[in-house]
Amino acid sequence: MQFRQTVLAITAACFLALGLQTTTASAGVIGTQAYLSAEARAGHLADINAAISRADVQAQLVSLGVDPANAVTRAAALSDAELAQVAQEMNNLPAGGDGLLAVVGIVFVVLMILELTGVIDIFKKF
Amino acid sequence: MSSTSSRSSSRLVVAALSALVGATALTGCTTRLPPLPEDPRRELASVPFFPQTIHQCGPAALATVLGATGVTTTPEQLSPLVYIPGRRGSLQVEMLAAARSQGRLPFVLEPRFAALQAELTAGNPVLVLQDLGALGIRRWHFAVVVGFAPDQDVLILRSGTERRRLERREQFLRTWQAGDYWAAVLTHPNQPPATATGSSFIRALAATERYLAPESISAANAVALARWPADPLVLLANGNQAYAAGQLTTAISRYRALLAIEPTHLAGRNNLASALLDAGCPRQALAQAEQAASLLPTDSPLSAAVNDTLVKARAAAPVAATSTCSAE
Repeated sequence: MQFRQTVLAITAACFLALGLQTTTASAGVIGTQAYLSAEARAGHLADINAAISRADVQAQLVSLGVDPANAVTRAAALSDAELAQVAQEMNNLPAGGDGLLAVVGIVFVVLMILELTGVIDIFKKF
Repeated sequence: MSSTSSRSSSRLVVAALSALVGATALTGCTTRLPPLPEDPRRELASVPFFPQTIHQCGPAALATVLGATGVTTTPEQLSPLVYIPGRRGSLQVEMLAAARSQGRLPFVLEPRFAALQAELTAGNPVLVLQDLGALGIRRWHFAVVVGFAPDQDVLILRSGTERRRLERREQFLRTWQAGDYWAAVLTHPNQPPATATGSSFIRALAATERYLAPESISAANAVALARWPADPLVLLANGNQAYAAGQLTTAISRYRALLAIEPTHLAGRNNLASALLDAGCPRQALAQAEQAASLLPTDSPLSAAVNDTLVKARAAAPVAATSTCSAE
């Protein structure tokens, strides 16, 4: 657990360093993107939170079987708001996949119920 | 003898129930729909079709909507961007992020059938999230709505392995409701969707900017300005665009137009000050910079930029007597 936190902290620091570089470069004129992110954020604390969420999402994607290199680009492609949502709910958000297994599962459950309530008798044969 | 007959009758029951449950899960409990011939007046017939393989409805649906906007790609190419093996599916936000990485602007529609219909009418196929499950078991599925026949009350979808799946509106709404009526369109940066606002368009553009060529961004800003000439965010983006291209007079006039609509717009005020300074108008610049600084909330991420402008304007103002200011 401590190892994971260390990795998260280091990754977050790297992202943060990158992020700060881009914001200081545009001092003077406020770019459209800088304006929009300022609208959504309270300050540097939000930068840190976003960096931590990004590292967290990346780690979760890898643990769910995504190729580590792809996980980096995928976490980088999400906006701050998207990151916050995904980081907290990776396992609860709808994942569109059209699982045909679910249909098989439904049929099995129905058959099981019918079997247990004695309406049918197919599983005792084996 | 009686045991054999009871066994065979129970088999019959099993077969009937299995068929019923299977049919329910697959079709969502519909009676058979009459055939609906392809008709370009109610359906976007040229939208490509990519039949999905198991669990891959996300990449397939994404390739479909991207293909309709002129991006040549395949579900196999998109799968590494959106598919999560451990969830056996794809998340909505990742579908949107992947669209951005392909240079297309994603827009989540208002959760109303009317919005979906408006986009179809405008020629945009609509990506939707449906729950095709039954008996309380969720079965999330991405599909693409390509048409609607109001007289039959039937939607036409590219879905799963079906190129032209027909669904009664009532049935579609039931499956669509579970995912909070989530729907999205992807558009080329030059073609804002029918239901977009100036603000939603600029936000989508800003989030996609890093994947777009500078010419595409300026063309998109110009399209936005023509369609929403009085939207503050559109004016700010166009002012910034002109400023970055060194067109100071245009930039100044966009910022002024923005401030006429929203006088307390901090970024607009600051950028006007900065542009005036570069245009050789330090006195006007100082007045604007001071106003911007007075609008600054405490702990604002914009304070560095605003203070920087103020310092520069203060340094330049005393030598302004002989300035060549032309931006009045």
